[in-house]
Amino acid sequence: MDKEFTTISIPTALYKKVEDTIRGTEVSSVASYVAKVVGEALLKAEAEPEVLSKEDEEKVKDRLKALGYID
Amino acid sequence: MDRRFLIIGLDSAPSEIVIDRRAEFPVLARLIEGGLHGKMRSSDPPITIPAWMVMTTGKDPGRLGLYGFRHRTGYSYDKMWIATSQAFKERAIWDVVGDHGGRSCLVSIPPSYPPRRVPGELISCFITPDQEKEYTYPKELRAEIEAKFGPYRFDVVFRTEDRDEILKEIYAMTAKRFDVIGYLMDTRPWDFFMFVEIGVDRIQHAFWKYMDKEHHLYEPGNKYETAILDYYKYLDGRIGELLARVGEETVVLVISDHGAKRMKGAFCINEWLIREGDLVLKEEPRRGANIEKTPVDWPKTKVWGWGGYYARLFFNVEGREPQGIIKPEDYEKEREAMIERLMAIRGPNGEAWATRVIKPNEYFAEVRGDYPDLMVYFDDLYWRSAGTLGYGTLYLAENDTGPDDAVHAQEGMYILYDPRRKESRRLDIDITDVAPTVLAAMGLPVPADMRGKVLGSKAGGRS
Repeated sequence: MDKEFTTISIPTALYKKVEDTIRGTEVSSVASYVAKVVGEALLKAEAEPEVLSKEDEEKVKDRLKALGYID
Repeated sequence: MDRRFLIIGLDSAPSEIVIDRRAEFPVLARLIEGGLHGKMRSSDPPITIPAWMVMTTGKDPGRLGLYGFRHRTGYSYDKMWIATSQAFKERAIWDVVGDHGGRSCLVSIPPSYPPRRVPGELISCFITPDQEKEYTYPKELRAEIEAKFGPYRFDVVFRTEDRDEILKEIYAMTAKRFDVIGYLMDTRPWDFFMFVEIGVDRIQHAFWKYMDKEHHLYEPGNKYETAILDYYKYLDGRIGELLARVGEETVVLVISDHGAKRMKGAFCINEWLIREGDLVLKEEPRRGANIEKTPVDWPKTKVWGWGGYYARLFFNVEGREPQGIIKPEDYEKEREAMIERLMAIRGPNGEAWATRVIKPNEYFAEVRGDYPDLMVYFDDLYWRSAGTLGYGTLYLAENDTGPDDAVHAQEGMYILYDPRRKESRRLDIDITDVAPTVLAAMGLPVPADMRGKVLGSKAGGRS
């Protein structure tokens, strides 16, 4: 867990909405909820599952053959 | 972060050219006269993929689970996958730099397609399928570069036998890369900058026979005799321009991922396996047929192979391969017998070969991914391996898949120039020494699982 914190501003209306959402749950504060959600969003963005399509793979394979890397 | 660090990657550059002929390259000579320099022992296999990633992660191919550009998918006979940037899960130099708030500029380090998110900027490498793909991080960088320099060039392709055309393309590609690198150096904040010039590898593969008097296809007085050296002189000038930009406080490493040497020919591994009775086909292959597209009689086949700069052999094991016939209890015995037979292979004139055979699962401390049963360097890599079939001979004077006069050498080169130390010393290193050395020189902690040494340890220590 990070020990250093900093302050950011969010719209009051959004703050209230989060407060309503976490009421009665295990989440202890609006801050920890926002940190958790932002963290998850970043992880998802990082995953970017762009793989080679079949067609792209064939293109790359042909080039690797022409270059002598594979036969 | 104490220092900035620049890695100039020259794919395939051997010490026999860069270091031994430094009198012809004033900029590189200045770095050699003021830095550590020598041979760099590459990974096994000494191939572009995985070598650059071994270098930047400090992990060997077994740990990375990468043994070349392509891999079998599990134990399938005909399914394979190509290693892209997504195949590399281990943390690299730029990840550690990022952890400490630093920024990196990474240009064309194989493999960097699809472009990964990095703290800084990235341009992908020659694995990029075509110009239409997203090839930068952040995405917007691409439009900025294209507006200024036109489409980026990832590679040249040897579609043609026209050497003038190949030469022209290599220069055009390299010129553009250095223009783009200079622009990034000027416009982006960075702590770590690394690029790989693939043109070195391409020019050597296409022109080695014109330069090397020992090459079996060398012709005295040919018009391309100095093509490779001229290109190195051009690179030397362009490197000089970059060094003027980075100033005298930056640590500079010029390094290759493996070396290069003349190709003696191609050994037809699958033809040999057929003659030995290990591989049985259902029909006569046409000349140049690919093993994946040839009907193999699997219930009669024990072993088959793949070509490239080195050979990969796969055993057809019962309970492992779909139609395996080698009993698991006989596997080691069969493998030992095969090694003995491979080591006994001689050249076309009966000459002895210095062949090396590796058992990946014993050679690497940890072995991950889709590794072959054996890795084979015929005659210390002087003979490449042809996986294609139907030649009626075991020995080809030329590459089976196109013009190719050079093969890879296990040892590449490096020059480590620290302007604060200016110590000229010859010291041979291992490829896994690079990542810890870079991090230590930048004043960053070296992760404990990077096994290499910190060179010139005054620059820093391990965490």
